[in-house]
Amino acid sequence: MTDSKYFTTTKKGEIFELKAELNSDKKEKKKEAVKKVIASMTVGKDVSALFPDVVNCMQTDNLELKKLVYLYLMNYAKSQPDMAIMAVNTFVKDCEDPNPLIRALAVRTMGCIRVDKITEYLCEPLRKCLKDEDPYVRKTAAVCVAKLHDINAQLVEDQGFLDTLKDLISDSNPMVVANAVAALSEIAESHPSSNLLDLNPQSINKLLTALNECTEWGQIFILDCLANYTPKDDREAQSICERVTPRLSHANSAVVLSAVKVLMKFMEMLSKDLDYYGTLLKKLAPPLVTLLSAEPELQYVALRNINLIVQKRPEILKHEMKVFFVKYNDPIYVKLEKLDIMIRLASQANIAQVLAELKEYATEVDVDFVRKAVRAIGRCAIKVEQSAERCVSTLLDLIQTKVNYVVQEAIVVIKDIFRKYPNKYESVIATLCENLDSLDEPEARAAMIWIVGEYAERIDNADELLESFLEGFHDESTQVQLQLLTAIVKLFLKKPTETQELVQQVLSLATQDSDNPDLRDRGYIYWRLLSTDPVAAKEVVLAEKPLISEETDLIEPTLLDELICHIGTLASVYHKPPSAFVEGGRGVVHKSLPPRTASNESTESPETAPAGAPSGEQPDVIPSQGDLLGDLLNLDLGPPVSGPPLATSSVQMGAVDLLGGGLDSLIGAPNFVTPPAATVPANLGAPMGSGLSDLFDLTSGVGALSGSYVAPKTIWLPAMKAKGLEILGTFTRQVGSISMDLQLTNKALQVMTDFAIQFNRNSFGLAPAAPLQVHAPLSPNQTVEISLPLNTVGSVMKMEPLNNLQVAVKNNIDVFYFSTLYPLHILFVEDGKMDRQVFLATWKDIPNENEAQFQIRDCPLNAEAVSSRLQSSNIFTVAKRTVEGQDMLYQSLKLTNGIWVLAELRIQPGNPSFTLSLKCRAPEVSQHVYQAYETILKN
Amino acid sequence: MISQFFILSSKGDPLIYKDFRGDSGGRDVAELFYRKLMGLPGEESPVVMHHDDRHFIHIRHSGLYLVATTSENISPFSLLELLSRLATLLGDYCGSLGEGTISRNVALVYELLDEVLDYGYVQTTSTEMLRNFIQTEAVVSKPFSLFDLSSVGLFGAETQQSKVAPSSAASRPVLSSRSDQSQKNEVFLDVVERLSVLIASNGSLLKVDVQGEIRLKSFLPSGSEMRIGLTEEFCVGKSELRGYGPGIRVDEVSFHSSVQLDEFESHRILRLQPPQGELTVMRYQLSDDLPSPLPFRLFPSLQWDRGSGRLQVYLKLRCDLPPKSQAVNIRLHLPLPRGVVSLSQELSSPEQKAELCDGALRWDLPRVQGGSQLSGLFQMEVPGLPGPPGQGQSTSAPPLGLGPASLSFELPRHTCSGLQVRFLRLAFRHCSNANPHKWVRHLSHSDAYVIRI
Repeated sequence: MTDSKYFTTTKKGEIFELKAELNSDKKEKKKEAVKKVIASMTVGKDVSALFPDVVNCMQTDNLELKKLVYLYLMNYAKSQPDMAIMAVNTFVKDCEDPNPLIRALAVRTMGCIRVDKITEYLCEPLRKCLKDEDPYVRKTAAVCVAKLHDINAQLVEDQGFLDTLKDLISDSNPMVVANAVAALSEIAESHPSSNLLDLNPQSINKLLTALNECTEWGQIFILDCLANYTPKDDREAQSICERVTPRLSHANSAVVLSAVKVLMKFMEMLSKDLDYYGTLLKKLAPPLVTLLSAEPELQYVALRNINLIVQKRPEILKHEMKVFFVKYNDPIYVKLEKLDIMIRLASQANIAQVLAELKEYATEVDVDFVRKAVRAIGRCAIKVEQSAERCVSTLLDLIQTKVNYVVQEAIVVIKDIFRKYPNKYESVIATLCENLDSLDEPEARAAMIWIVGEYAERIDNADELLESFLEGFHDESTQVQLQLLTAIVKLFLKKPTETQELVQQVLSLATQDSDNPDLRDRGYIYWRLLSTDPVAAKEVVLAEKPLISEETDLIEPTLLDELICHIGTLASVYHKPPSAFVEGGRGVVHKSLPPRTASNESTESPETAPAGAPSGEQPDVIPSQGDLLGDLLNLDLGPPVSGPPLATSSVQMGAVDLLGGGLDSLIGAPNFVTPPAATVPANLGAPMGSGLSDLFDLTSGVGALSGSYVAPKTIWLPAMKAKGLEILGTFTRQVGSISMDLQLTNKALQVMTDFAIQFNRNSFGLAPAAPLQVHAPLSPNQTVEISLPLNTVGSVMKMEPLNNLQVAVKNNIDVFYFSTLYPLHILFVEDGKMDRQVFLATWKDIPNENEAQFQIRDCPLNAEAVSSRLQSSNIFTVAKRTVEGQDMLYQSLKLTNGIWVLAELRIQPGNPSFTLSLKCRAPEVSQHVYQAYETILKN
Repeated sequence: MISQFFILSSKGDPLIYKDFRGDSGGRDVAELFYRKLMGLPGEESPVVMHHDDRHFIHIRHSGLYLVATTSENISPFSLLELLSRLATLLGDYCGSLGEGTISRNVALVYELLDEVLDYGYVQTTSTEMLRNFIQTEAVVSKPFSLFDLSSVGLFGAETQQSKVAPSSAASRPVLSSRSDQSQKNEVFLDVVERLSVLIASNGSLLKVDVQGEIRLKSFLPSGSEMRIGLTEEFCVGKSELRGYGPGIRVDEVSFHSSVQLDEFESHRILRLQPPQGELTVMRYQLSDDLPSPLPFRLFPSLQWDRGSGRLQVYLKLRCDLPPKSQAVNIRLHLPLPRGVVSLSQELSSPEQKAELCDGALRWDLPRVQGGSQLSGLFQMEVPGLPGPPGQGQSTSAPPLGLGPASLSFELPRHTCSGLQVRFLRLAFRHCSNANPHKWVRHLSHSDAYVIRI
């Protein structure tokens, strides 16, 4: 009637036709029909309606036809489970067929039909096939166990298939061994606790024997399995390495990489003095180099792996620089990877060669590549000190080309060079300034502004230059705005006379006209600093900056070690641990390198070493932060700023409270107290009120969140010793301010008045921030509670023990002396959270002899609870990793005097004992920090 | 383990789709892959891509995308190797790899895939081993014709050498001969070398390396033994000495696992019983020390008048091959500064051609005889080009964006390393066949031959 009917009939017609052909008597016709069905299936047509007809063709002696039907079944059985049952009898019968090809085919196909009902029928045939006389059937059955396990794990265990599978590892046929290993490895990954792959020297020996006879693909399974084994000593490791080494010359790159993985892992156990160690190193280079002549796809994957290997063991490829030179017809992703490796391999010996190459690359046409090449020159300068001068002159040459993006990129890297080698290459500043107008990218503008600010005293027209940027202040990106603010403040501090107007202008732009909170905050901080104490401002803003190093882009050592265990896998291409990209549970067993210990006695050594951090070769600098503008906050890493101590009596209590709340912690400059208004430049006084209250609101809000543990009051001064005055006390830290909570009781018979308190000089400069205020005279038997605010700007003298505080209390009767120990955690400041990268670098930077290790016993908390409890006392968790079931918390804290303490807390679930490793540049505080941990965690 | 495998046409249509693990996602995954690939930013590598938990690894072969997906942390090397083996296998079984042959042989391809991969575990990729299991016959589109030269290529090297290849048998399915015994027995042995060279602007040689391989394609019945004799002065490593002359020296050599080396040490003879199909018998590489002079030297000189924006480039190309050898299909590619508007040229012989193409100069020379020298003078207008200041109006310093020049060429009957196949001898066990045809060919071609200016 209508068109639609017409179309449906044609469709039906096609299916009809096929149906007729499928039921034809002629075998050839049937075969052709099934082929057509499969072709339709592939292009996405629904041919499920033909299910019964196709299944009818199943009972045939013709193997080709049978295979085709099975192919169809695999595809549609899931959507037609009831129909699929029709085929079961044929399957079971085929499993008994005299032809091994048919037996294997039946078992293989049944395993692929993911229908529960079918699996019940699969068990018996599978059991038989696992013991079949033909290896082809056995190897197919071994895989089928893995298939069945995925559908119904319980069934596989109940039926005892796993044991049969284990037996197959000793099979005489290497193909069967390989498939059994593959199946077991996969099953074992979903049951990390089970000991399915029981690797012991005997089974390893069997695997090594099978390795020589297998196909290349089987070799990969076996090598990957070997990589999970931990040899018991260095001798065993060496003997396995010797038997794996021949695989390095295999034509299949996957075999090569799996072998490299085993070798890299077991090498960790070999002593570096061993001759064999050197031999092995030499053998690793040629196969890696060979990979670079493969197609670009393989090259790329190989380069990603080499990148890891070079970071772990640069000695392997140190003489192979040339192979990483970029070819003009390499795809861009290969070029960039090569560039990265070139820099990692750069050393004094080959730097000239590398620089010459990089200079060539910088004149190519591809903009992205050119930029990376220019950056690479900068990285070379920072990495190889001897080359810095040559790098700078190369960069200057490039700036002369006046090509916009080259110039901008060059300026960004020159800024890093200035930071690494201060006061060395300032002669080039003039050239840089010539290019000021051509800079249109925020990063380049920010870099240029930084340079002008940093060297303001040597640039005659620095104020003009900066002023020119200020005109379009609101159109700049935040990066540039922040940098401009800092640069002008620097300029003001260096040339205060001519630039007052400029600094006012930028401060008001930043604080009043901007709605960016970062910018506003920084504006207020500077304003406040400048207005209260220009000397302190100078110390803060112009403080010496921490050095930067090329190590920023290195992979964190523990992650690197984990990735080395995953060489030749996707993890090594993404440079991420498998847990980051593999769906839940599967294959997320953390792997770690075996400890380098030859003997079994020293079981302690893996414990004491910081997780995998290789010792010895660390450079003694701190990496640059991601944010190059971070110089203000970076100050925390510098030497403590010591300001003039304040006379406590002259300070108003309220002010201390407010200021102690936020600014102290924000800036880390301890002497932040409002001085008399006289030092405030008159013209800056006006906008202060509104601005400052803003700032205080903000910080006190933040501060209120934290409150650290307070110990109960203890008797500090018994009445007997003080003519009737009893003092109980404790220390608290709240909202960033420290106070001493005192309870004074008059146990004498006379009234006490005229209280006063004084501290002796002590290790952290603790001092009362206000006089001891006891408002009314204390009558006999009366008790008064007082909270005495403290600051840390008093005179410093190292005490023994470190946290000893000697106090003198005076009243109308006499002067009494007592000493008490304060818990160190009252000194942990609120901004003690270190950036991850800085943490990593600092950890490496602090020499190992500064590391102290402690046990915290009987603490029932888990990692989260520990972390949050410590956080409330300003011990911050920077990172958390789970390694072999242990939780590792990496924590940082900072003391009021700027000393950083880095901690690694190892928590084993179920075990109430924690291991605490502390690293600090001033190791004498470690013991007290440990006590603080104990106190906080146990209360 | 591999979750899915599919083949997409160059336009992204699925030709083959196989799911090994019953993962969800279905066919949409193929579409997802194609969309992801097309939307990838330039500098990111397309080799390994991922979407949520699914990772795609692919290669491109004969215009088709061969893609494997996985959701586990498995070896990308094994996937890449597998994909390229699959490409060879499909070529062996279907005749050649292409959209047409694949869609004509869907059933065969599925059958192959089932034997190659079980539950995503690779079982075997050996053409020989698979012969025991495969039942379906390949469908060949048209009878094979000796005169159909358009589809002919020298296998093993992507070159334009087709016209001189002795036979087109290389694009015929290896295994369709089961029922057809009348086919000729043929063996092809190719020594193919890829040459990468980097020459600095001052003419000094920065880097040279040669990647060579000996490839065999055999249509003989499996198990027939053959012996390949190489140049006797063939030395491996820096220190080995053979013969009286300087020898033919390579740095590294690796052999296919089926090669027996008992006569290699003494007589440089490789013995093997190759399966039918293609096989890389030997791979070798050599860097830095080339026994013969480089095939080409380029002598550029240029004059650049910045005032008028006129740029004149004079290129002299000298071929240092032995006089009897020649190079063919030479193409010189020279990137030019941005904004080149016109080109005028004076070439040394009429068969040459030069044109502007994608902001670069392309100079084509069909053939160059050894020992000869060719030249070209090119004049261009480049208005408003920035350059090094502080020099005169006219300069011979290269403007930005010019160079480096790269050459591509082929050297038939020439190996840069000097390696030659002395003989190829077949030992016969089945005497039913007529005398087999043996073809031994040598060829070098450029991989990256770059001359900085």
